[in-house]
Amino acid sequence: MPFQKLGRADEIPPGKTKFVCAGEAPVILANWEGRIYALHGICPHQHNPLEGAVLWDHLLDCPWHHFMYDVRTGQNHFPKNVFPPDVPLAQQQVGPLATYAVRVEDGDVWVDLG
Amino acid sequence: MGKVARQVVEQAGVNVDVLLDKLVRAAGAEFTTFYYYTILRVNAIGFDGEGLKEIIEDARIEDRNHFEALTPRIYELGGALPRDIRQLADVAGCPDAYLPANPRDMSAMLNVLVEAERCAVRTYTEICNLTFGKDHRTYDLALAILHEEVEHEAWFSEYLSEGPSGHFRRGSPGTSPYVRRFMSADIG
Repeated sequence: MPFQKLGRADEIPPGKTKFVCAGEAPVILANWEGRIYALHGICPHQHNPLEGAVLWDHLLDCPWHHFMYDVRTGQNHFPKNVFPPDVPLAQQQVGPLATYAVRVEDGDVWVDLG
Repeated sequence: MGKVARQVVEQAGVNVDVLLDKLVRAAGAEFTTFYYYTILRVNAIGFDGEGLKEIIEDARIEDRNHFEALTPRIYELGGALPRDIRQLADVAGCPDAYLPANPRDMSAMLNVLVEAERCAVRTYTEICNLTFGKDHRTYDLALAILHEEVEHEAWFSEYLSEGPSGHFRRGSPGTSPYVRRFMSADIG
């Protein structure tokens, strides 16, 4: 699938996020230190939308249960860093967010949803 | 429910349903944290664990106090706690504070504790930001809880040698120096 235009870069200043829908695909855009990242817009924990998610450094904080994801990799940071490996129910909750390639051209944000 | 109590908050521009959702999630997190901290405190034993036990107990009791203090405000605004405790656990606004795989690893236990407190600090900062200048009563309560959560984080962070907290222990377990005035049913 080709890159799709999902917004303007100046709509997402550093440290901020923007939740958008590309057709039926929810996407969360995040600007960390001037670079824009795109991730799947649904938290894998309880499948809630990431609209209103906040950035703490490079970590995207889900507004529902405060699960946190690394915007660079989509990997869960918290609570994966403290959930015990021997509790299967806990491990099931800390899956990653899908990440998408981003291109910024003439101030437009293009995302490859794959 | 306080009819005017809710109306004045709505008229100030707060979406009360959104606020109630956040308050119920916060209450759920306090209740589940109280449960998990009970397990952590029980397991804080040995040369390292015994020193940790008292501050886990302070945080554990104060988190229960936060649940007690939040609940009346939820009902005042027309909300309710879920009828099913399983639902309360599911909506809890912070992850479960599980006992580490190796319960004798006090460093792992401290990481669980400090991360739980950091989640709480974010939760109440968000509620303060939402209510500041608009819903004075909820703001006052959330700020009082925030004061205690920030102290909890600092205690556990200090144990991880991240820097001094500047605090000393409570005079007696779980005194809740900031939240106590909201626990009107407990004041004789």
